[in-house]
Amino acid sequence: MNVALAILWKDLVSEWRSRDRVVAMLVFSILVAVVFYFALPMLRPEELSALAPGLLWTAYLFSALLGLNRSFALELENDALSGLALAPGNRGWIFLGKAAANWVLISIVQILTAGVFAVFYGIDLVPALPGLATVVGLGTVGICAAGTLLAPMAVRTGFREVLLPVLLLPALFPILAGAVEGSGAAVAGQPIPFPALQLLLVTDGIYLIVAFLGFDYVLDE
Amino acid sequence: MSAPLLSLRAVEKRYASVTALSGIELELEAGQGLAILGPNGAGKSTLLRIMAGLAHPTGGRVRFAEGKPQRSRVGYLGHATLLYPELTARENLVFAGRLYGVENSSARADQLLAEEGLTGVAERRARGFSRGMAQRLSIARARVHAPELLLLDEPFTGLDEPSAQRLSHRLEGLAHEGHALVLATHEIDRAARLAQSALVLVEGKVKRRVNAEEMSEPALRAAYAEALEAPA
Repeated sequence: MNVALAILWKDLVSEWRSRDRVVAMLVFSILVAVVFYFALPMLRPEELSALAPGLLWTAYLFSALLGLNRSFALELENDALSGLALAPGNRGWIFLGKAAANWVLISIVQILTAGVFAVFYGIDLVPALPGLATVVGLGTVGICAAGTLLAPMAVRTGFREVLLPVLLLPALFPILAGAVEGSGAAVAGQPIPFPALQLLLVTDGIYLIVAFLGFDYVLDE
Repeated sequence: MSAPLLSLRAVEKRYASVTALSGIELELEAGQGLAILGPNGAGKSTLLRIMAGLAHPTGGRVRFAEGKPQRSRVGYLGHATLLYPELTARENLVFAGRLYGVENSSARADQLLAEEGLTGVAERRARGFSRGMAQRLSIARARVHAPELLLLDEPFTGLDEPSAQRLSHRLEGLAHEGHALVLATHEIDRAARLAQSALVLVEGKVKRRVNAEEMSEPALRAAYAEALEAPA
């Protein structure tokens, strides 16, 4: 557990000082919002409300890909990833520390992106906040679990920018399905459907367990 | 007679169809120094990474004497420094200490900074360090958990001569303090000073073993040249 906390602290301090990951993810998310705004100019407000969860999650997903790739690209500088792999004990704690740091940083970007979406599309997200926060939090756990497992494999290849999306996006289809359905209900002021929550919880659980146990092999050469 | 600190038996490492190492046999006693010499691509770094526990051999076995698990007994200094540029020198060491479960890692970090002459720059970020300072900090990082064995992969690469000399003296000091060292290098003069034995790797195989009697610089140069010229 100490190892996970140490890595969480190290990633957050490094990001606070450089701010390169959060800024890149946020700018990308805002650009996605702007692209959708110009790509869908003729929509009526009720159509926008129906589309908003899908658009929001598209922005979340692609900015998370950017952040996850960068998270391990930074570990390659000075071969710091080898320094992590040398730590004795279960490497699952390394996964947990990296995943927790990714979750915190991606969540910050998501909160700011939601604000930008609300302004651009004129959607009042305040009543939807509790439900939306639950769904987004759970969805991001799954994204970070699968992404933190796959990113170190991707960044050590010559196709790092391409390989992570190719590996990760198919694994995120169940997360996306549950998250969009749940977010749609939250934005519409309805309770989160249980099947959507169940899908998110089960997928998160599976990805966390697989990644915790499998990270040892990911760091091996 | 006690078991060697580290023994490798018939170690082999393959990457797809490429054989990086084959038939590696070696033993290292506690407190001893071993130099691994060889041209680029001979497999020196791969061998060190296997000893460190960073890579698994595809054949053979690596065995440490009874005691703590492999990764907690080894300090590793590779081509790169393993440092985080946005953390200060002190934070890098405290972080490494926490990874290894070192009790009171702050006090240990201060002790190592003092030993490496880095106390004055303890609160400076590693990003601004010269290559020589980063290498000293990297040695401190490798020693944070007081390992029995230090694995040094081309530690003099990229250093100017004064920094390389300073590092060489530091490593001699560590050897005298009883650390076992494995040093992969091209620099035969430094290998002769730091190690009590050597082996020459060529294309992933041990071509020559050099014992303590031959560890003078001229004898080691001759042994190295002979190994390179020997038929495959």
